[in-house]
Amino acid sequence: MLKIILMIISTVLVNNFVLAKFLGICPFLGVSRKTETAVGMGMSVVFVVTLATAMTWLVQTLVLNRFDIQYMQTIVFILVIAGLVQFVEMVLQKTSPGLHQALGIYLPLITTNCVVLGVAVLAVQNEYTFVESLIYSVGASVGFALALVLFAGLRERLALAEIPESLEGTAIALVTTGLLALAFMGFAGLVK
Amino acid sequence: MTTLLRDLVNGIWKENPVFRLVLGMCSTLAITTQAKNAIGMGLAVTFVLVCSNVLISAMRSVIPDKVRLACFIVIVATFVTIVDLVMAGFFFELHKAMGIFIPLIVVNCIILGRAEAFASKNPILNSFLDGIGMGIGYTLAILIVGCIRELLGSGSVFGISVFGPRYIPFLLAVLPPGAFIALGLLLGFMNKVNKKLAM
Amino acid sequence: MRDILELVLVLSIICLVAALSLAKVYDITKEPIALQKRLARLQTINAVLPPHDNEPDKNTVQVSLDAQGNEGGKVAARTADGSRTKTGAVLVYRGLKGDHVSGVAFEMKSLGFGGEVGVMIGLDPNGIIRGIEITSMNETPGLGARVAEPAFKQQFQGKSLNVTHFKVKKDGGDFDQVTGATITPRAVVQAVKNGLEFYQKHKESIIQ
Repeated sequence: MLKIILMIISTVLVNNFVLAKFLGICPFLGVSRKTETAVGMGMSVVFVVTLATAMTWLVQTLVLNRFDIQYMQTIVFILVIAGLVQFVEMVLQKTSPGLHQALGIYLPLITTNCVVLGVAVLAVQNEYTFVESLIYSVGASVGFALALVLFAGLRERLALAEIPESLEGTAIALVTTGLLALAFMGFAGLVK
Repeated sequence: MTTLLRDLVNGIWKENPVFRLVLGMCSTLAITTQAKNAIGMGLAVTFVLVCSNVLISAMRSVIPDKVRLACFIVIVATFVTIVDLVMAGFFFELHKAMGIFIPLIVVNCIILGRAEAFASKNPILNSFLDGIGMGIGYTLAILIVGCIRELLGSGSVFGISVFGPRYIPFLLAVLPPGAFIALGLLLGFMNKVNKKLAM
Repeated sequence: MRDILELVLVLSIICLVAALSLAKVYDITKEPIALQKRLARLQTINAVLPPHDNEPDKNTVQVSLDAQGNEGGKVAARTADGSRTKTGAVLVYRGLKGDHVSGVAFEMKSLGFGGEVGVMIGLDPNGIIRGIEITSMNETPGLGARVAEPAFKQQFQGKSLNVTHFKVKKDGGDFDQVTGATITPRAVVQAVKNGLEFYQKHKESIIQ
């Protein structure tokens, strides 16, 4: 039980996937202008990442390792993820058109979100068990969502502030992310 | 002829993937602790970019529209795996330094972005040049960031000490926050330069 | 119907060609990759072993651990090609001079600041440390990561269980920690201590 808590704290705060591991920056910068969209994107990422890690773990164990074709990992994993996202989009369209409308363009973007592939590959690389991989993926994606929502809040404030013209837009966003990352570094040592 | 030249030069400044299109951020931030790693990544990405651009352009009339993203992904992933294997076999140190960011080249927005925006709609030679141009632009961009971070954070460039042994490194530069801040300031600077040039 | 068939066909052909080309490339690169991994491993081992005239990864002993194998740290080991041995076993590399064992090397792990720290420990047959190398770590550059610097590693040379107090100076022991970082050096010292105790316990089966 303690191990689970430690793992979650470690992935959400200490080794935050966006602020410490540099995964998921493109959507992080692209989707974080408003807090509502950030929350929506965050939730879909958590869902997709967890499901994707579960499936890729199974594929790795039952197919890639069994037949010793680990070099196919990149192709197979990304195909699984692409297929999964497509599937999620179709399901959402049928069951919850409102949510589908709100998430709109972001869903296909999740396919190219480094977090999904990154978590899938890392979970297998660290040789976690199935349950450990699930916890790891939940922690990682929650960490991403957390950073995303925090950052959206910051950006809403930034939009009202006076910023030198050359720094407007992505430039100041990056600097702000850096400060956020600096703050998160304070969590290091929590897990010891 | 001028079109070809334009396609080549486009990616280096006007539509530089890192500084203007803001693509490929993840690798830019992660890999730029040392200038040497930046070159390795730049070459790897350029290789994959050029190969997939050419192949996708060659097949653009054959790939059905509905599954085009999936086809692009498979093609890109294949080249990425080739790069991964070749690097593991012959450039072990570099392979270890780049770690998980080699397979992540697959989801490097630059490659899929160019495939979708250019290669699938343009002839082979143009796509080839576009790939080279974008690759050079990307490599130059991360090289600049890498040199700055390595200089500030370790006092060296390409491993050659510049400030001498008594330099106290600005540690933040090689840590994650420093990466974000450095890139942000650099982008701001580029914006300023661009504005001046446009005037 | 015909459309879907065409979609599936094109995608399948592309995947097939991709898989085949990758299989070919894999075939070509398989040995260079294995070689590189082995060279990297050998480099670490040779750095910590006393003088020897064999290839240590060709002369290994796998020691299974009992329940009390280890205190305060986890134990894991990898074979020369990087794959894991069964959990609870330590792979010991032996350096030979002529016929007798001149030294042993094995890897111990312990929990550091940012995850597991792997330490390769080299001992002479009497359990005196010849040298250590850090094999894996995720520690802060410039702070905890400085345990990989020669100044820190050299402290361990010549030390052994009976003579040395295996803790960092801050905890009353004999080892200098790194300025501004205590957790990583503590982890390294703990890993080395575990290693020495492991060796003492299983010395006979290792030296044979």
